[in-house]
Amino acid sequence: MAADNGGKKVAAPALAPLARKAAVVLRSIWARGEGRFALVVLALWLAVSLISLVWTPQSLWSTDGYHVWQGPTAAHWLGTDGTGSDVLSWLMAGARTNLLIAVLAVALAGVLGMALTAAMVSRSATVSGVSAVLVDALISIPTVLIALILAVPMGASVAVIVIACGIGYGLNLARIARPQALLAANSGYVDSALANGASWFSVLVRHIMPNTMPTMTVQLSLSAGTAVLAESGLTYLGVGVPSGVPSWGHSLATSVKFIDVYPLTVLWPGLIVTVVVVALNVFGDVLRDAVDPVANPALREVA
Amino acid sequence: MAIEVSGLSVDIGGRPIVSDVAMGVADGERVGLVGSSGSGKSMIAKALLGLLPRQASASGSARLGGTEVIGADETTLAGLRGRYVGVVFQNPGSSLNPVLSVGRQIELPLKLHYDLDAGDRHERVMAMMRKVGLDASLAGRYPHELSGGQQQRVGIATALITSPRLIIADEPTTALDSITQRQIVDLLVSLVDGAGASMLFITHDFSVLARATSRCYVLDRGRIVDSGQTAGLLASPQVAQSRRLVEAARKLTLGGPDMETL
Repeated sequence: MAADNGGKKVAAPALAPLARKAAVVLRSIWARGEGRFALVVLALWLAVSLISLVWTPQSLWSTDGYHVWQGPTAAHWLGTDGTGSDVLSWLMAGARTNLLIAVLAVALAGVLGMALTAAMVSRSATVSGVSAVLVDALISIPTVLIALILAVPMGASVAVIVIACGIGYGLNLARIARPQALLAANSGYVDSALANGASWFSVLVRHIMPNTMPTMTVQLSLSAGTAVLAESGLTYLGVGVPSGVPSWGHSLATSVKFIDVYPLTVLWPGLIVTVVVVALNVFGDVLRDAVDPVANPALREVA
Repeated sequence: MAIEVSGLSVDIGGRPIVSDVAMGVADGERVGLVGSSGSGKSMIAKALLGLLPRQASASGSARLGGTEVIGADETTLAGLRGRYVGVVFQNPGSSLNPVLSVGRQIELPLKLHYDLDAGDRHERVMAMMRKVGLDASLAGRYPHELSGGQQQRVGIATALITSPRLIIADEPTTALDSITQRQIVDLLVSLVDGAGASMLFITHDFSVLARATSRCYVLDRGRIVDSGQTAGLLASPQVAQSRRLVEAARKLTLGGPDMETL
């Protein structure tokens, strides 16, 4: 009956409070020292990615065979690599590739993870049983192996990293969110919602998923960090970003062989990856505290 | 809305929980269902709403306002739940969603059953909150910021916002202290009577029952063992099970002489 129309109709009038809520969440994150660090790093990452689309200090493709493996100079602030290209320019351009990979991998993991979580708390014993077994079975396949298998038909590409990470982290997300989703599914407030005539779908959207959000936000931002690391690893193995496409993994892979001779060239991409991964992990923690109304009284609405 | 139950039995995995129960609530009447823990009270409420656990099976007949609910399809049941039948639950703390503000929880049944715009819904939520004695400023709060009594007021507001014709109150005061219990019962009674709805009040506590209902059924091990006027049963219980419940209520609320023997 009328019970089913609830799922879609919430979006339009809920937009304004949502924007206000986002502002409150951002302010709560900023109020903490580690939150400020995470926000600054992530904002810089985004800014550099956008800037690199229109400007880099040097062209990525201007090579100089006479000045390879240079240390920092006025023309090349972070020196040059093995082809004489500007290291800073490549790192700036790499930021956008890594940002794209992290965002897409997290989006895919989020969608897959939530779909699997929803299936695992389904009221049909068959659906919940089969999906739980499926997740447990598939989670034993390492992400690297998924990437290697995908690389056979697809070759080295950004898509391989995104799909492999999306599947791997999505399965992980589902496994971690399941206990919390089950707890919510068997809770008094779900009983109460059902007694009020809510459909299972609306219960899922309004009650079960929002109550798994603290786990999901932490897990997804950890996944974003792991996606940055995975990009480096997979690119080094030759199944990640193809050569010629700028990425931090690419910068690492081309310089790491010469770490004994030119350690400084390896330092920069390594440093960036480390700082970004730490920022993402910290961000997950502060975000969880900021979006949980039990932990964050600032979320209280002004009625 | 009237309830007519006859020959209702509920089994869980072959174990009988409720056996051959017959009872009735007339239009606008407040009737109690009293029994000790595990007597099957809540199972009867769940059967009336079609929300029995998956492994349970029900037989017999239960009609809400003339509609048979035992074996009814989801559409029939979803149309009754929340729209014509409101439910107040035992533990107000756990029956409220911790991450949804109080105002939005009260609003949800309206969203499900009525086609109103956000402004109208907001007005009705505010009016309902006034009715149950909650300050309008609490609408933006989350459940954990409220006291137990306030939480149960939210539960009552949620159950009554759609102006249902029947209220099923499943131990609505058990988790509250005795002063708050009295306030909540009085509030429920005045709201139910004000709306001209009927109420099935489920409890194990005779002292609460006397305030809330005129007539009651006593349930023991899934069977109705006694029934009659609440005041009469409370004054001179005839059946052994009723006597035990009445004695327990007297000892607890009236502070009987031998608390140690409890």
